Amino acid sequence: MSDHVIVTENLNKIYGHGYIRVHALENVNISIKKGEYIAIIGPSGSGKSTFMNILGCLDKPSSGKLYIDSTDVSKLNDNELAKIRREKIGFIFQKYNLLPTLNALENVTLAMSFAGVGVKERYERAENLLDIVGLSKRIMHKPSELSGGEQQRVAIARALSNKPSIILADEPTGNVDTKGGWKIMDVLEEINRDGETVIVVTHDPAVAERAKWVIRIRDGVVSAHASR
Amino acid sequence: MLVDNFNIAYKNIKERKSRVFLTLLGIAIGIMAIVSLMGIGEGMQQAVIGELSSLSDTIIVTTGDISANPMGGGFSGGSLEYFTERDLDDLDRIQGIRSIDPILFGIATIEFSGETSTVSLLGLDAERMKTIFGIEFLGLEQGEFMTEGDQQNKCIVGYNIAHETFDVNMQSGNKIVLNGKNFYVNGIYKKQGAGFSTETDDYIHITTWDFKKLTGNVNVSGILIRVENVGEVETIAQEIELAINENHGDEDFSNAVTMSSILESIQQIIGIIQIVLLAIAAIALIVASIGIMNTMLTSVMERTHEIGIMKAIGARNTDVMSIFLIEGLLISLIGGTIGILLGIIGASGMGAASGTDFMGGGVALTPVVTLISIILAVGVSVFVGMISSLYPAWKAAKMSPIEAVRYE
Repeated sequence: MSDHVIVTENLNKIYGHGYIRVHALENVNISIKKGEYIAIIGPSGSGKSTFMNILGCLDKPSSGKLYIDSTDVSKLNDNELAKIRREKIGFIFQKYNLLPTLNALENVTLAMSFAGVGVKERYERAENLLDIVGLSKRIMHKPSELSGGEQQRVAIARALSNKPSIILADEPTGNVDTKGGWKIMDVLEEINRDGETVIVVTHDPAVAERAKWVIRIRDGVVSAHASR
Repeated sequence: MLVDNFNIAYKNIKERKSRVFLTLLGIAIGIMAIVSLMGIGEGMQQAVIGELSSLSDTIIVTTGDISANPMGGGFSGGSLEYFTERDLDDLDRIQGIRSIDPILFGIATIEFSGETSTVSLLGLDAERMKTIFGIEFLGLEQGEFMTEGDQQNKCIVGYNIAHETFDVNMQSGNKIVLNGKNFYVNGIYKKQGAGFSTETDDYIHITTWDFKKLTGNVNVSGILIRVENVGEVETIAQEIELAINENHGDEDFSNAVTMSSILESIQQIIGIIQIVLLAIAAIALIVASIGIMNTMLTSVMERTHEIGIMKAIGARNTDVMSIFLIEGLLISLIGGTIGILLGIIGASGMGAASGTDFMGGGVALTPVVTLISIILAVGVSVFVGMISSLYPAWKAAKMSPIEAVRYE
């Protein structure tokens, strides 16, 4: 189990109560090895975003267990979950979610400041990461001065900044034009080649095809299979 | 870490300049009120006390009840009772007294520029006249006090007599006739108005010696006493009252008032004024703190999504809380600083405006903005900023990351 970054045991998520209960996730049992590239696909409303949020420790399961790097996170409190989020998980959102008041460089250093990385190292790492995602010439630009694709690449740099165990990307190409989308997928693949575990939620078959494994969710029920 | 949160808070403020400006205007007005009102209170205190403390070795003894005004109510007092020779002799026997100067009271006819009227006369030692009535906020409008060796048939005239009683304005250097004798107007008092005692406005002051010669009587209505040792002034005042009251068989016959007791009552009055002024300032600050809370709550709501992002990338609840606390504190401190500057300007403005009319006398009131009032103002701004952003910051910290990040 030690080479598994994510393990779930009978994971359930139920919304509402009484007669209007919605079973968003039902007895999910999966394990994901370190360094894998996985796509989670399913129609909208299938529960894939819920699953993603639970994996990212933004949301708690109703029952069952979730291990991240062998730590059971299903019982942790707010601050312990925040610690997991900043140390183990790098989030990439569909709508980039950069802070509008900060420039690209500051957006990348922000997560490191929460993690207590020293100022000098923070800026060195941020510049290096922005260079990797191809934005070394735009580090002083605010999000409003960047294209969708560029903003998403800043978000990728931010997600990588605390050297997480897992990169979670929720529809990373959803708001980006086709060309920008391919560039983002290239960056994600490159990260994966360097040993990072990458999990991408998508409903785009072309994106899913690039993953080694596909997890399919339909009505809260999960099934996994090889994509190729 | 704190520096980073400070940086974020600062950028948030910069992003919403106009709204922040209006909020900090609120706190600036509150702090301005504190600083300027305290400055005026302090100035008032220093003006009055500075003058009166030079008379701290003086006891004023009067007959009858005394009103609490700074110059001891009235030497004439409205009471028709006078001190006797025996009283003066008894005072002589009390240890620690340096000098005893009776104040004589009487009525005289006055002739000036062909008109005749009646005035109140006050007779007292010329040197004492200068030390008591020569202090800055009484003082002379023109002329000067009599000097030693050159005080015979000279007088100091009250403002009302000089400028209102006769058709012709009296000047120092004029001649007047009192009870048929010629007197030289050596000086004219400034107008005092109702604020302080009225011992000068409607009186003509002459020396004791002239008074006796002119009226023939010795109606001692007040006694000015100076003690050797300022530390004993209170006990000697009590002894004096006791001795004189015993002579007259009346527990309330006399009243010996020291400058320090007068100072105390003035300080009490100023204290009450200051409390009222500060209460007004406090109300302004409460309103301002509601303003800050309102702005911060709006800011938290507007930035729900950003709070969600920060939490999603690993911000602790305390990080989020400190960002908003710092933001509220910054607004409050900037407002406070502006308020302190405005307060200093306002205090001198109010001082200049109140200037000559203050308390009806001639006091040029200089507001004194002390370091303490500035420290207090900064402290109050920090406190107000903290208190009013505590709830909004807590609300931000408590947000669920998943709901916040979804919020658009």
